[in-house]
Amino acid sequence: MTLARVRAEGVFYLLVLPFAALTILFGLWPIILSVQVSFTASATALSPNPTWVGFANYATILSDELFLASLWRTLAYTVMAVTLNLAFALGAAMLLDGTLLKRGNMVFRLVLFLPVVTPDVAGYVVWRWLFDHSFGAVNAALDLLGLPAFGGLTTVQTATFAILIAELWHHAGFYMIIFLANLAIRDPALEEAAKMDGAGAWACFRHVILPQLRPAIVINLVYATIQFLKTFTVVVVMTKGGPAESTTFVSYLAYQYFDQARYGEATAMASVLFAIVIALSLLAYRLGERGRT
Amino acid sequence: MTKTTIGRRTLGLAAAIGLAAPSIARAQAQTLTVWHDLGDNGIAWFERLSAEFAKERPGVTVRSQSFPTDQWFGRVIGAINTNSAPDLIFNNYERVIRIQAQTNRVMDMRAVLDGVQDRAFLTEADLRVGTYRDRMIIIPMQRVQMALGARKSWLDKVGERFPVSWEDTKRVAQKFREADPDGNGRADTFGFALQAARPRDLIHMLDLFVFGAGLSHTLIDPSGNILIDQPEHATILAEFLRTYSTYRFVPPDTINHSFAEMYQVIEGGRGGMFRVGDWNVRRWDMPNTLGGDFVTGAWPQFFPARDNAVVIGGMRGVGIPENAPNRALSIAFAQFMLGKTAQQASLETVGAVVRKDLDISSLSERSQWFARANHKLVAYDFPEATHSFYPELEAQFHRRLLAAIGSPPRDMDVFIRDLAREMRETAQRLSRG
Repeated sequence: MTLARVRAEGVFYLLVLPFAALTILFGLWPIILSVQVSFTASATALSPNPTWVGFANYATILSDELFLASLWRTLAYTVMAVTLNLAFALGAAMLLDGTLLKRGNMVFRLVLFLPVVTPDVAGYVVWRWLFDHSFGAVNAALDLLGLPAFGGLTTVQTATFAILIAELWHHAGFYMIIFLANLAIRDPALEEAAKMDGAGAWACFRHVILPQLRPAIVINLVYATIQFLKTFTVVVVMTKGGPAESTTFVSYLAYQYFDQARYGEATAMASVLFAIVIALSLLAYRLGERGRT
Repeated sequence: MTKTTIGRRTLGLAAAIGLAAPSIARAQAQTLTVWHDLGDNGIAWFERLSAEFAKERPGVTVRSQSFPTDQWFGRVIGAINTNSAPDLIFNNYERVIRIQAQTNRVMDMRAVLDGVQDRAFLTEADLRVGTYRDRMIIIPMQRVQMALGARKSWLDKVGERFPVSWEDTKRVAQKFREADPDGNGRADTFGFALQAARPRDLIHMLDLFVFGAGLSHTLIDPSGNILIDQPEHATILAEFLRTYSTYRFVPPDTINHSFAEMYQVIEGGRGGMFRVGDWNVRRWDMPNTLGGDFVTGAWPQFFPARDNAVVIGGMRGVGIPENAPNRALSIAFAQFMLGKTAQQASLETVGAVVRKDLDISSLSERSQWFARANHKLVAYDFPEATHSFYPELEAQFHRRLLAAIGSPPRDMDVFIRDLAREMRETAQRLSRG
């Protein structure tokens, strides 16, 4: 390595150093502290000399029916939300990319993307009002049509479905934009060749377009998995985990434990969720990469 | 002495004074910092206190910072543990308990209170609601009263008076739901505006019914006995659950309602009866909320042998961290806060006090009712001060009650008996852990 190159790289690292230090300080340090708290007794967790309890908090939460139920609920919700969001986003992107919606294409894109930039709390408050049993627009419309009332956020059977709709409204536009970006750079010659070989619309989509969308699918899959595993705001605003815990996901349960000053168990839950998020994201990424090679 | 010498000495003296003045001023100028969660009303109160305190202690400024409650916890615990504590902390007793539990560095305020001559207005109960594990962690400053409120125009419309017994209350609630008390031609009103979503939301509402009926504990007594299947407790609990479910006195969405949503139901004119805290009155007297269209009274009477009451739902007070930067001055300010001037300011800005000798003539009729406090008062029992596991027990209690609201039990007596057994087992397990 020449002296000039060392000097150039030295300058590079010198310039990067402040940002690296800030990233470690504000990005990594809170995570480390959170994991550290998970090894302490809650009563002393925030004191200068906490009592170290090893993996006791992890043992407690792993034998806690509430946590296990919320973990399964979170995983099931994530599968449903990821599938629904990506399917909807892909469908919308295909429609907007095709010739069917040529007129007003920009308006449709804007309408679908606007919820992404809308503050989530504001959006979910409006959804809560829409679903309100007494004065909500959803039931008013159903009533006009002579259909039975929708339980919305008030019944165990419908609450998850209601927040799935609200989250779809808020997030799908983002995934759609990623799909649209990928569709814009695909090779049209491949589709023309497939059509000349007699491939139908479905076969063309399945065997020609979809493989080219792999980068967008991987990005969206990883991002959506992270997003929905950590579902929190929609629960706080719309259901507070209810009714009967039907929307108590891990993030919200940890928050409830914090509220009860059970800091050790709450951070243990957060750490478990963090590990699952990392593992599933890596898995999704690796699967995507493997498919590419 | 020549003119020149006099001139030089005068000049020198002036220069010396000029140089020394800023440092003298610096020595006198001191700032006390108070952290609270009272919002704008609290900030206005501390601004007035600062001006009044400066008359006794020139150069002293009191600066208050208001945090959202959940942030207040983290900030105070973190600051005390890292020796960057504020001079004073101000909040509800049960919240300061958590600070003490996590830091063990909240000063014992007994000696501070002993230094106040004029304190006869503080009752034994007040002082008890300031003491945690033999240490007075706050000096009580604001008794938090919570009464039952009812829309006055609705009562007039349905031909009812403010309810006294539980039977009266049920009848009024039914009419509020069915008789279109707001006259808009739509069936969009309910008997009550309550909340249920989080453990404290629902149990707080139950507390109001229980203590308001004259009982002393909701779930557990100081000896650790579970009480919910005692006859009087069971009666109230059963009726309370029916209020949310089979009686349909509250909006169906109440199961997801916390404070913010409950206030929307109250201020939006959908709930006819509701909790009125003494701090709510100022806001609800304003035209864009309830415009003063409400009357207040004691909570419903369930048992003829027991007087119904207004609930003392909390006690706000001032505490001093042991590592407060200006400890002596903080003590002087804490003592000043109990004085008549400071309490008068508290009454006019926050709406709650502990003294009874204040001028209430400028307050609204409803605020005066709270300030006179001539009604029977029953204090909340703060089980978290006695049982460290209480929040966990309460969370489980809440889960079972929510389930019973969602799917009302066929036999309420059996449900309450089974629930009591489960609570006893849980309390035993938690107390061992």
